[in-house]
Amino acid sequence: MHFDLQTIWAILIAILLTGYILTDGFDLGVGILHPFVAKTDIERRVNINAIGPVWDGNEVWFITAGGAAFAAFPEVYAALFSSLYIALFVVLLALIYRAVSFEFRSKEESEGWRKFWDQSIFWSSFITALLIGVALGNIFAGLPIVNSAIKGEPLLGFVYAEKFPISFINLINPFTSHGLFGILVGIATVLFIVMHGVSWLLWKTEGSIAERARNIGLKVWLPFVVMYVVCTGFAYTVSFKAGDLELVKRTLQLPPDMFQQIASMIDNNGVLHHALFRFPVIELIFIVLAALCSVGWLFAVKAANGAKAFLFSVLTFLFAAFAVTFGVYPFAVPSSIALEHSITIYNGASSQLTLTVMLVAALIFTPIVIAYQAWVYKMFLFKISPESIRKELEEAKEQY
Amino acid sequence: MTVDPFVLLVSRLQFAMTAFFHFVFVPLTLGLSTLSAIMLTLHYATGKEIYRDMAKFWAKLFAINFALGVATGLVHEFEFGMNWSVYSRFMGDIFGAPLAIEALLAFFMESTFMGVFLFGWDRVPKSVHLLAAWLSSIGSNLSALWILIANGWMQHPVGAKVEMAVAGKRAVLADWWAVVFNPVADVKFWHTTTAGMILSAIFVLSISAYHLLKKQHVEFFKKSAYIALIFGLIASVGEVVIGDIHAHEVAKTQPTKLAAMEALWESKSNANILLAVWADQEAQKNIVEIPLPIPGLLSLLAAHDFNAKIPGAKELQEKFQAQFGDGNYIPPVNFMFWAFHIMVYLGFFFVVLFIWGLAKYKDLENATTFLKVALYSLPLPYIACWLGWAVAEVGRQPWIVYPPVDDYGKILMPELGLKTAQAVSPLTSIEVIITYVLFALTFTGLAIADFYLLAKFATKGPEKEAELY
Ligand code: HDD
Ligand code: HEM
Ligand code: HEM
Repeated sequence: MHFDLQTIWAILIAILLTGYILTDGFDLGVGILHPFVAKTDIERRVNINAIGPVWDGNEVWFITAGGAAFAAFPEVYAALFSSLYIALFVVLLALIYRAVSFEFRSKEESEGWRKFWDQSIFWSSFITALLIGVALGNIFAGLPIVNSAIKGEPLLGFVYAEKFPISFINLINPFTSHGLFGILVGIATVLFIVMHGVSWLLWKTEGSIAERARNIGLKVWLPFVVMYVVCTGFAYTVSFKAGDLELVKRTLQLPPDMFQQIASMIDNNGVLHHALFRFPVIELIFIVLAALCSVGWLFAVKAANGAKAFLFSVLTFLFAAFAVTFGVYPFAVPSSIALEHSITIYNGASSQLTLTVMLVAALIFTPIVIAYQAWVYKMFLFKISPESIRKELEEAKEQY
Repeated sequence: MTVDPFVLLVSRLQFAMTAFFHFVFVPLTLGLSTLSAIMLTLHYATGKEIYRDMAKFWAKLFAINFALGVATGLVHEFEFGMNWSVYSRFMGDIFGAPLAIEALLAFFMESTFMGVFLFGWDRVPKSVHLLAAWLSSIGSNLSALWILIANGWMQHPVGAKVEMAVAGKRAVLADWWAVVFNPVADVKFWHTTTAGMILSAIFVLSISAYHLLKKQHVEFFKKSAYIALIFGLIASVGEVVIGDIHAHEVAKTQPTKLAAMEALWESKSNANILLAVWADQEAQKNIVEIPLPIPGLLSLLAAHDFNAKIPGAKELQEKFQAQFGDGNYIPPVNFMFWAFHIMVYLGFFFVVLFIWGLAKYKDLENATTFLKVALYSLPLPYIACWLGWAVAEVGRQPWIVYPPVDDYGKILMPELGLKTAQAVSPLTSIEVIITYVLFALTFTGLAIADFYLLAKFATKGPEKEAELY
């Protein structure tokens, strides 16, 4: 590890993404659980009100991560979003529907209207969680991108070598390694998001909803652990080909010792094996810690202790995310075509001046944001239940 | 590199569509957040219940409108990478920073405190509640500041230089404060936020007029209308002044845009302002023109000097062609002229409308003619906002980043200019058509649902309801 500006920014963006999955993650989970934990209209309102005042603030983590990637690693932002065009489009559609569903649902009495938005809450949350996982899996396993500057094209940057519809199908094509990894990570992500949603519902609600959430939680734990182990095993097999070491040296722009370390792991056929497990000891420690925390989560759910469950689902994700981040560093988007076409945090970064300006802004404002978000959370952490919501509705009617 | 013209066309249509939908919802967010914070302040200051009900009523409409502002804004943010990847990688070093700061500084503040404002009634202490209302309003206006710094930079790219990196040619930051204090961005900020205030004032005024015409909740809506009239008058007078400063900046930094806005073909000193025009773009002349009978007014407004020479479209086309190669550098004149002039005429109309309302205020519920005009004026500020953006964005063409120009046409750094046609992502036509059609259907459907709910709650009047989803 080098503590240069590029690395600091890579860590910051990892933190922003983690912030997103940990905050918006539970309300995505609540959305996926919506049809399963809430059976009556009042219960559905409880479920939505459990995340009502906070979901929008949570979603801003996603926007901030996108903006920060644009500013700090423009090559990554440009290459990823144009390559994953249709997938990102579907995520955007899902996020749009989610945003309006919460706002619209209870504003109209008709049953058809409410059913429509209930469906929309479930599907939009599910699709977002799944596709974010699919995209992450694909990126870790390497996307077919090429650096067009190598071909003497000065403006295009990194471009996707496959064209639609192949480009989209391959994201979830189990016969390509990145597609298969995408599916696996996608499923694991959905399962984690559901667990995290269960933690939140146990913390924020009481009564019938908390009951059902607990039962579902007990059922998803084992599948999650299995999927986590499968994903980790798969990550161990990921390898990249290097075509031309001279080019690798020139285009990836890694610090010399980092280049040496990676070059020394490339075998005679030009293959970099275990590309995501270059620091096996550290990574294994994190993986084991993640697994232990998930056991802690299971016990907390059994005891119906929401706050503890939440803490453990947060820790599970943090350790799992650390392990992955370590593995990928210093690559941002590895190329499955050849190593020299990859985007690293060095050749994809902005200028030193921009990184510095942004770092100053981040150091000043991130703590402030975290402080007031925590304060708002504290304020809204009173328990709600079908009874309390019914009472509130009736009181408002009486006043009138 | 060859660009598929269809991909370029659809990408442009898609971006413009997103922007237009975004700007249906955004200006109301900007202004109404401030108006409801003012009402809440009046409540806590005077202790009167009516102001509390007012804040609640208008904040409910605010919340319905807000959801779609978020939904369309989200798309905007990612469309740069999706559809304009070459632009994003070329300019990201500079353009990305204000976008990221916007999210960090403004979006978090706005959305978090809006939650406290909308759900904190009787739950949080009064002072905290009031603070939250103001912070959410400040947050939304801060978001306008940073996005307009980004957009202002595309209009007038300052503080940058071009270098060669491993992944290709790119622009990098040379002077951060020049980007932040870009004069073009700063006038854009004042102009746009003031436009949001005018729009919200008319929104409140028009819905109040609806109820006053029906003689229902008279006291409630008379008071609302009063606040809107005062707020609107200040904003609309301010807008005329700011608009003039804005046009002056455009004249200095984007001469081709100004020439098209004013249908000025020949370079002229002591140039006239035209009231109405019909131009022939091919023949590069006006077929019909009706000038304002004050000679030199355009020179005065654009360059603050009656005798200043304003460069015309013909001369600029030749100059740009010599510098940047073949191409059409003059935006569509009829479109630009009318978009700009209708906005300006509407700007003056709004001043009159607010003065008229204040003059009639004592007996507002019986001033039927005024109330009817106010009611039907609702779409006008929306139209003014759209036309304003159309002037700004269409007038920038063929550039996505207009090369930095100063002093009415001196080209400073030609290498910084980037044409829209060079900036588009290497996508296929099937991809862009799928997203374009589905975004169009989604936005239209949701906008209809949103207008339906807005109309429902606006016409229902102030009723007590639980603050719940
Ligand atoms: C003059 C004001 C203005 C302008 C020109 C823009 N926006 Fe905007 N935007 C706002 C003013 C605003 C706002 C009033 O602050 C909104 C409306 C709803 C909201 O949350 O904030 C917003 C919302 C909003 C959101 C959602 C924020 C949230 O979830 O809270 C995003 C991601 C963007 N915008 C991004 C953009 C982009 C990429 C733009 C340019 C191309 C853009 N906006 C133009
Ligand atoms: C919300 C109000 C906005 C509206 C109504 C608007 C309108 C438009 C229109 C009509 C076009 C198409 C122009 C053409 O192709 O002839 C366009 C393009 C574009 N605008 Fe905007 N715009 C808005 C805000 C912004 C902002 C704030 C930015 C920058 C942050 C921006 C950046 C762009 C870009 C990148 C394009 C695509 C390339 C181009 O055609 O120039 N726009 N916009
Ligand atoms: C007498 C009044 C006005 C004048 C002289 C004026 C002037 C201008 C000019 C010159 C531009 C183009 C800026 C560019 O190309 O970069 C512009 C844009 C714009 N105008 Fe106006 N305007 C006036 C009134 C209004 C009113 C009443 C509204 C809305 C209620 C409005 C909303 C806008 C918006 C949203 C933009 C696009 C954003 C921007 O470029 O700042 N304007 N105006």
